[in-house]
Amino acid sequence: MTVGATVSKTDTDLPTAAPSQSGGGGGGPDPGAHDPSGGGPAGPGAGQEKWWRGERLGPQVLRVVTHLPLIVLVLIMAALIWKAIPAIRYNGFGFFGRSVWNFGNLYAPILHTHGVAHPPGALYGALPLILGTIGSSAIAMVLALPVGVGTALVVVEKLPPRLSYGIGFCLEILAGVPSVVIGLWGFLTLGPFLMHHVATLWANHVPDVPVLRFFRGPTGNGQGLLTSGVILAMMIVPIIAATTRDLLRQVPRGTVEGAVALGMTDAEAANTVTIPWVRSGVIGASMLGLGRALGETIAVAMVSGVLVGSPIRSLYSAFSTIAATIVSQLDGAFTDASGLAVATLAELALVLLVITLLANVGARLLVRRVATTALPVGRGI
Amino acid sequence: MSEVTSPAVAGPAAGTVLDRPVMSVDDVSVGFGPKTVLNGIGLPIERGSITALIGPTGCGKSTLLRSLNRMNDKIRGYWRRGRIELEGQDVADSSTDLLSLRRRVGMVFQRPNPFPMSIRDNVVAGVRAHGMASRSELTDVAERYLKEVSLWGAVADRLGDSPFRLSGGQQQLLCLARSLAVEPDVLLLDEPTSSLDPVTTEIVEDLLRNLVPDVTIVIVTHNLAQAKRVSNTTAFLYNGHLVEAGETSQIFDNPEQPETVSYIGGRIG
Repeated sequence: MTVGATVSKTDTDLPTAAPSQSGGGGGGPDPGAHDPSGGGPAGPGAGQEKWWRGERLGPQVLRVVTHLPLIVLVLIMAALIWKAIPAIRYNGFGFFGRSVWNFGNLYAPILHTHGVAHPPGALYGALPLILGTIGSSAIAMVLALPVGVGTALVVVEKLPPRLSYGIGFCLEILAGVPSVVIGLWGFLTLGPFLMHHVATLWANHVPDVPVLRFFRGPTGNGQGLLTSGVILAMMIVPIIAATTRDLLRQVPRGTVEGAVALGMTDAEAANTVTIPWVRSGVIGASMLGLGRALGETIAVAMVSGVLVGSPIRSLYSAFSTIAATIVSQLDGAFTDASGLAVATLAELALVLLVITLLANVGARLLVRRVATTALPVGRGI
Repeated sequence: MSEVTSPAVAGPAAGTVLDRPVMSVDDVSVGFGPKTVLNGIGLPIERGSITALIGPTGCGKSTLLRSLNRMNDKIRGYWRRGRIELEGQDVADSSTDLLSLRRRVGMVFQRPNPFPMSIRDNVVAGVRAHGMASRSELTDVAERYLKEVSLWGAVADRLGDSPFRLSGGQQQLLCLARSLAVEPDVLLLDEPTSSLDPVTTEIVEDLLRNLVPDVTIVIVTHNLAQAKRVSNTTAFLYNGHLVEAGETSQIFDNPEQPETVSYIGGRIG
């Protein structure tokens, strides 16, 4: 890819630009030519300076590097949109309202509708996948936020330094556990335990009324929405906890003492000083976690049951997320000679990208809103 | 003041309550772990007076001050012997409510430490925590105390703003207003003006003079001139010992102990 080429080029150029020239002397025997920037007046090559040795190279490299994230994002978006065009035209807006996932008859002759080639009977709907993605991430956030922040609070405020160091170390290890390992553990151990021994405590006692009905029902074999949410929570707790811990350590002691000296309880002091001080940072960390949860693929694919094309009936039912669907359907999609199935997966990827972007923008707005009141790091200060 | 009229504190001789020191430090030794910071300090804190604690850095002034409202309690290894009394009751007594002790014995710190909330909320933070005023009264309370510390004119039109946009001196005045808003009997000040400009320092000193005799003030200061200017009583601490305490004029003009003479003369510290 072009982008990859650009990256490796700048990478190899950077070292040549800086130190190696000072030793080699750039072809000049003159000891005054030590300055690699070529700014020395005695430099013999001042006029015929090679472009990669010039002072201007640095800013130019920087400019390219600065714009790389934007370029990459635009390229990915463009590629996805390009690949998804047939699916967007064929699936229409109904894609977001249907709960169905049907490749169609892959053995029948290919038909054309609105100029898009497709197998007869092909019908796709992403509603349960979108809801599953948002739902599992929401469960994860609801669980991970209090646990992560609570862990950080205990580590910073209550534990003796040695123990707090140890737990901090464990948090970082936990953040680095490959998701496939967590997924397998969730599939083998956590899921069955959760569904057989924990969820059963309430699943049959919840009243059968609208809304609450969602928390009622057979808890199944261990794969489903709840298990996925818990697994995702486990993955983002370390992110939230580690960030919050670092933030808490930066809360000025004197300000907390000020609250205590007013006769506030520890909880009141935390509410008055500590929490406002770290709030926008915690929101940022949560959004980092949410981003991970929304996009987490393999672990969810292992514990969700990958039920594509069927509505989510309860907290315990098998479901699928966008990411898990893409990875589990990709192989089969290639058997669709019309290319519609792959195009639909591209459309799904696009939807996921948009959801993630929206979450990020929302986080920005939220951070800005809570930071305006009083934080020294807030807007305009 | 409330404790004067309250029958609860009327001891065997109710008429003498006003003459009794509001706080008293009696043979107090304080330390952290194996280290002893204060040695056998005895110091009555007269009601309605300003007491200055002076002495070189590390002599234990701040530790003594922070022992008065038990701010040292959470520091690892802190221990205390002897009695520190507020209205005749030991501050560490099991029947003493720590939170109301700290409300009655307020504290202002060396560096301004406003809370991360609006200016108005800063002033009433303590009032809120102690439920001393209803929600609708809070703005009035904030106004009253901002006026008391001469900050109202500067912040009247931006009560909802961040206090961190104020200058350091204004922030310190805000912290003073916050401490006064909970109506303390005793106010402890730990070098409150060491980071302030001369003008704000003067505002603070005037304020302190106006606060007595309603509020009893204990001020730690490195600024000898300030101690001389504002205090009625001065206590000189050196190496964890109370070398000399007495009327400010006497300490500065006729110090008895050679260490005091040296310190005030600028030869030690």
